[in-house]
Amino acid sequence: MSIISSLAEGFIGLFQAGGNTFAGWVTGIIPLVVCLMTAVNSVIKLVGTERVEAFAKKITRFTVLRYTLLPLIAVFFLGNPMCYSFGKFVDEKYKPAYYDAAVSLVHPITGLFPHANPGELFVWMGIAQGLQERGLSTAGLAIRYFIVGLIVILIRGILTERIYFALTGRNKKAENA
Amino acid sequence: MYNTIQIKAGEGGWGGPLTITPTEKCHTVLCVTGGGIHPVAQKIADLTGGVAVDGWKTTLPDDEVMIAVVDCGGTARCGVYPKKKIFTVNLMPVGQSGPLAMFIKPEIYVSAVREKDITVVGEEAAAAAAAPAQAQQAPANDGFKTKEQAKEEIRQANEGKKQSIVVTIGKGVGEVVSKFFQAGRESIDMVIRNILPFMAFTSTLLGIISASGLGDIIANTISPLCGTLPGMLVISLICSLPFLSPILGPGAVIAQVVGTLLGAQFAAGAIPAQYALPALFAIDGQVGADFVPVGLSLGEAEPETIELGVPAVLFSRIVTGPVAVIIAFVFSIGLF
Repeated sequence: MSIISSLAEGFIGLFQAGGNTFAGWVTGIIPLVVCLMTAVNSVIKLVGTERVEAFAKKITRFTVLRYTLLPLIAVFFLGNPMCYSFGKFVDEKYKPAYYDAAVSLVHPITGLFPHANPGELFVWMGIAQGLQERGLSTAGLAIRYFIVGLIVILIRGILTERIYFALTGRNKKAENA
Repeated sequence: MYNTIQIKAGEGGWGGPLTITPTEKCHTVLCVTGGGIHPVAQKIADLTGGVAVDGWKTTLPDDEVMIAVVDCGGTARCGVYPKKKIFTVNLMPVGQSGPLAMFIKPEIYVSAVREKDITVVGEEAAAAAAAPAQAQQAPANDGFKTKEQAKEEIRQANEGKKQSIVVTIGKGVGEVVSKFFQAGRESIDMVIRNILPFMAFTSTLLGIISASGLGDIIANTISPLCGTLPGMLVISLICSLPFLSPILGPGAVIAQVVGTLLGAQFAAGAIPAQYALPALFAIDGQVGADFVPVGLSLGEAEPETIELGVPAVLFSRIVTGPVAVIIAFVFSIGLF
């Protein structure tokens, strides 16, 4: 009998630990995220996507802005996955590189702006929670995550653009031959 | 002469597009927008050839109402007309909400509609464009009140009302408040649909791992290997391999689970805190690799672009994955 009851206790213990983690996340993460998301979503609604689109069209010509500012405003205002629709403002040949840049920002942005990708918060939140448990502040990490994210998407954009040009060039040669 | 029109959802709107054809009996646009005929209701009436009436002043049988125009912030009116099976246009960006939410369906309801979202469908479009030109000459010829003149009078009557400052301020405040309310609704919706289910799943998984002692095994064996720069580079390289990355990508579930597991290791001190930034990039080299064709078509790319764009993105990641880890490693100097 004692074996059975200790088995049951161990079994419940597995989920008790999970429940404690869950309760910690719900009280620790959700209130902040809800208020932040509401505030930013209100700002987005007040600004209006049309104004953002008009601005986006103007900056697609510049390489550096195309792979930094353009994905940033797309991800900030439209979130994942609608941010990729800003690809329509970009020249056809730059679209794969724009996608690569935009998609690579959907996680680095969540440290500061969780509204942009609330369905995939835990790439950032998983690690950030671990550090908080050790009593470390994650604000500095969130800002660096964001900055490095912007640098990385610029590199990704430029490199993917080059690789895409090389692939299309090779294709054209094959067709001509 | 009646025309079929199409009404689509405006910016931030929901539902539709609705295609509406008036009939002899049912051609009235019922405008329930707080006094007067709203320009959107007027435009629907003009384009279809029907008439717009002010719902505050007139009542008429449901089967004569072709379409209702409302400006509901998400409680009552937006659901009332769909429940009666009457096409409903909401001027506010409201989706399925309120106590009658279950009746609000995209086949019968469209929101955030502006005048430019209403168009005449098909061949009749040309005829409708030609009609106003003829109509403008007509009034000069006969002394009778034509339909156009009647509309003009309605318009003038409406303009008089618009000048009321109280109404203007009231509507402005109402609009801002409704946007805030809508934003709150969306946030809560997002928490319930996406964040909480993921928390439930990962916390259960984490609980089992930590309570069963598996966590200690991971902390003692795998973590020390991962908690170094070469270890991080290997992880990012594996995540970036073109044949693996599309499998690891979907919904970022794997990145999130690995992130949470690593978080537990950071909490336990098995991995030094200064590796947090490189770790964030190491586990995410595959981001969106499963989504390239969909993402490109959202950006309206041609099929040929997608064909070569997919390998371009995947190959690029082999280089940029590890590079991102190195940049992150450099940037984490001085942190913690």
